[in-house]
Amino acid sequence: MATALLQVSILGLALGGVYALMASGLTLIFGVMRIVNLAHPIFIICGAFVAYWLFRLYGIDPIVAMPIAAALLFAIGIVVYKLIFQRDAQNPKYSEMTVLLTFGVALVFDGLLAYWFSNTQRVTLPSYATDAIFIDDIFIPTAQLYAGLVSLVVIAALWAFLQFTRTGYAIRATTQNRSAAQLMGVDVAHVSLITFGIGLALAGAAGALVSFVFSFFPAKHWEWIAILMSLIVLGGMGKLLGAVVGAFLLSLIAAYVGYFAGQTWSTLTFFLALFIILLIRPQGLFGEKLEET
Amino acid sequence: MPLLLEVKDLVAGYGRGPAILEETHLAVEPGKVQCLIGPNGAGKSTLLRAVSGLLPPRSGEIWFKGKRIDGLPPHAVLQLGICFIPQERGLFPRMSVRENLRMGGFILRDRTELDRRIDDVLQQFPVLRERTSQRAGSLSGGEQQMLSMARTLILRPELIMLDEPSLGLAPKVVRQMYDIIHILKERGMSILLVEQNAVVGLSNADWGCVLDLGKTLFEGPACEILADPRIQELYLGKAQTAA
Repeated sequence: MATALLQVSILGLALGGVYALMASGLTLIFGVMRIVNLAHPIFIICGAFVAYWLFRLYGIDPIVAMPIAAALLFAIGIVVYKLIFQRDAQNPKYSEMTVLLTFGVALVFDGLLAYWFSNTQRVTLPSYATDAIFIDDIFIPTAQLYAGLVSLVVIAALWAFLQFTRTGYAIRATTQNRSAAQLMGVDVAHVSLITFGIGLALAGAAGALVSFVFSFFPAKHWEWIAILMSLIVLGGMGKLLGAVVGAFLLSLIAAYVGYFAGQTWSTLTFFLALFIILLIRPQGLFGEKLEET
Repeated sequence: MPLLLEVKDLVAGYGRGPAILEETHLAVEPGKVQCLIGPNGAGKSTLLRAVSGLLPPRSGEIWFKGKRIDGLPPHAVLQLGICFIPQERGLFPRMSVRENLRMGGFILRDRTELDRRIDDVLQQFPVLRERTSQRAGSLSGGEQQMLSMARTLILRPELIMLDEPSLGLAPKVVRQMYDIIHILKERGMSILLVEQNAVVGLSNADWGCVLDLGKTLFEGPACEILADPRIQELYLGKAQTAA
């Protein structure tokens, strides 16, 4: 029994890292722009397709392909933001409007991907994808181990970027007090653009890792949006650390639920958690009440 | 003496709403402390926001040191030497004191120069020096006000605009804050402040300006405004209630 619990914990934690990376871009974009990016998971799937095809066509390892997917999604982010999100940024109902806008963007990208690649299940299969490491009776699938570790490295890099660079200061300042950031000389329109790009780059990076951890198809993003929302709502929306803690916590709980009640119930954990958090502590674990923007 | 800041016929408002400021005038002389008073909704804060560039005016002109600045974005106004401390003090609550000071020098690209100026400013604010790694959100109201003023000094501006600096502060802290304002004035900075507590504001100012319903009603030496019976009755809360 003890071994089994340890086994479940390890699997939950490994996935937690990947979930954290998946959610990081979503929470970053919400923090700076108050955009609830419902299209975030479809961009993760875009990243997964980039890694998938690079592997299928050129044999490039998905972890190596990760920066390529991130760069490509950064570019898509810049274009999408300029075309769709920039012009209404002054609107007082921007948050509400962008829920519909991002929903529309999700539909469009979902449709395009399904049209080009069909909705069949795919998974990238590098040599380690089906391998596992055994320590006594515990086994750790290498795919999840690698994906989890690489995710943590990317998140650490993101944290350092936010903490120590000039752009990082600008992003954090804009998140915490938008008009004060303006008064300090931060060009918040430019910061918003860059942040949207970075948010999508994180989605692309996550997608490359996801491509060999989960099987994916374009329409899968509908399931992920609820999962990701529950993670960042638990942590407090807009907070990177919150998203990471939320991801590990819920991933762990989901792993236990899956073990005791069966895998079908595992996904329900996230939906149920979302309801409970919103009922009991809507600002999340680390959240204060939302500041005026 | 040429004016430091001059506002002419300024009209401004939020979104598609009605104009908050109508034909507002204002003039600030270099090296003076000027206090804006007036009832709630007179447009005092709106005027400061318009000068800072946060709220682009609908019409009218704003001149600073002989340069027209209305319509400039906030970072350009900052670059010219105008700093604005909004009513809620404009701090970044989850950043440390030192990080907040760094943000004060955001437009300086020279990192070593920035660090030198931060050390300079910390010399003048011993309260903050002991708390450089504390989060700004956990400081007391008085400390927060000190931090927002200290942060402004990083850029060594020529004009500092303060919106209701004494709001929510204990009388002792208000006195400390005005002591700092007098020191800044002695160093040649000009101050434009909005005060709800008109008596405190005017008695610490050289020049006063009364704003009501978006219009400049009256301006003059602060001591004259303080003594003017009409102003006293209307805005200084010394009205005799009708018997």
